[in-house]
Amino acid sequence: MPKFLCLQRSLPSATPAEQRPSPAQMQEMYAKFGAWREQFKDQLVDMGGKLGQGRLVAAEPAPDGPYVEVKELVGGYMIVQAQDLEGAIEVARACPGLVRPGSGVEVVEIHTP
Amino acid sequence: MSTPALVEHLFRHEYGRLVATLSRRVGVEHLHAVEDAAQVALMRALEHWRIEGQPDAPSAWLFRVAHNHLIAELRKGAGRQRILARRGHGLDPGPEGGTAPEPPLAGELSDDLARMLFVCCDDVLPARSQLVLALKTLCGFSVAEIGRRLFITEANVYKRLTRARERLREQPPQLDGLSTAQLEARVPAVLRVLYQLFTEGYLSSHAELAIREELCAEALRLGLVLAEHPAGQTPPTAALVALMYLHAARLRGRADADGALVLLEEQDRTQWNAEQIATGMQWLERSAAGDRFSRYHAEAAIAAEHCLAPSFEQTRWDTIAELYATLERLQPSPLHRLNRAVAIAEAEGPHAGLALLNGFEPPTWLEGSHMWPAVLAELHRRCGHEAEFTRHRALALTLAPTPAVRQLLLRSLGASPEPRPDATGHQPDEGRKCTLCYR
Repeated sequence: MPKFLCLQRSLPSATPAEQRPSPAQMQEMYAKFGAWREQFKDQLVDMGGKLGQGRLVAAEPAPDGPYVEVKELVGGYMIVQAQDLEGAIEVARACPGLVRPGSGVEVVEIHTP
Repeated sequence: MSTPALVEHLFRHEYGRLVATLSRRVGVEHLHAVEDAAQVALMRALEHWRIEGQPDAPSAWLFRVAHNHLIAELRKGAGRQRILARRGHGLDPGPEGGTAPEPPLAGELSDDLARMLFVCCDDVLPARSQLVLALKTLCGFSVAEIGRRLFITEANVYKRLTRARERLREQPPQLDGLSTAQLEARVPAVLRVLYQLFTEGYLSSHAELAIREELCAEALRLGLVLAEHPAGQTPPTAALVALMYLHAARLRGRADADGALVLLEEQDRTQWNAEQIATGMQWLERSAAGDRFSRYHAEAAIAAEHCLAPSFEQTRWDTIAELYATLERLQPSPLHRLNRAVAIAEAEGPHAGLALLNGFEPPTWLEGSHMWPAVLAELHRRCGHEAEFTRHRALALTLAPTPAVRQLLLRSLGASPEPRPDATGHQPDEGRKCTLCYR
């Protein structure tokens, strides 16, 4: 089954910064995440993790661009498998907290030879 | 309540444990930084646990993260030198800069929680801040969640918390130097706050059942923490714990499937929680010690009478009336007088109940409550006093705080006055429906 790389991206949002969740809300998020993970366990190849700082290495001097500070844009990654892009999007969209104001996910197919 | 049937509130309770343990280690004057550290640790857990899975010892994991964060923040803080000078060893994270001391053992943890409870109920705090602070620090509710539970605005919750933290910064209670006997002197203040917390959950006519149960469960959990502490093991503590179990056991029976309040007389007693009643009775037995009969003893005994009565008709109303008389002596309150009148009306007839209220001037807060006219309407109805009944009934309906209470009043006071011979007329009183008895 094809694999897809899911990159969490911070998106500029008109809505004000979220309030910090309360412990009860965190418990709920944790529970939802567990349920999601259970539901799609066959498709979650690699839960990935958070991404830290990065730097574009190029022949030319690196331009001042958004990719210099990867951290600003990409929060984390994971790898899922699905029949097609739509299927992968479905998994990513269902992930609690991933698609919300201020955050989105980029889903890209990984071609392996 | 403290049974596996209820959802384990891991995150909220871990928050409470972290705050209690860390503020004991660095001092409650740093409460704000401590609460931040607990919050940060839970956020990190949310990130890490869902990818790596929950660690075998989640509490220890959280403690280490929170502790390291707290120390780093305190070191950054302006008062760094002062703090380090005073609490040098406790704060030193070691040469690696990342090793926290060992997390508390089970015994230390319950001691930390009990001490935090003493802090929340300390005299230096304004009375209006105490319950709010306990809900925030020990129960892990957010400002918004506390506001929703106590029916006050978020701004108000925030103000009360800020005052509490300021006082704790200026005059941190020094509990570590106190003997068990000195701590014991502070138990009544803790009992007051726990009683208030329980009552918020139990008697609230506004909130949903789940929220009310949650508040009752929290009061019970903290009550048990106190009851297990050497300084907190007093007979009144045991009585309060008994009272909470015995009331909590009947919580489910008080509302029907649609959330409408159900009169005591109509409640399905099989819905009451037999296990909690049994536990409550054990605590009541344990409370029968010492030389002081507290208000909690009286209230627990009243709750026990209700729990043990096989039916409404077989309730020992005479005993309950006596207990209310005792309660009124211990803790004079017009509400106790009102409840006593209801019990006497059941035991001896409505005329005897009315006689007790005759000439009694309720304070304005009770006059503004539906309870006063509702009881009068009920007693006058049963005495056949049509004019009085109609007047008090109309007033009670106007003052009903919620639609649920109004529905209950309409049902119980809906009938026209029916003269019923009272006890002196040697006929059983069949029109027994009392608006207070849904308690």
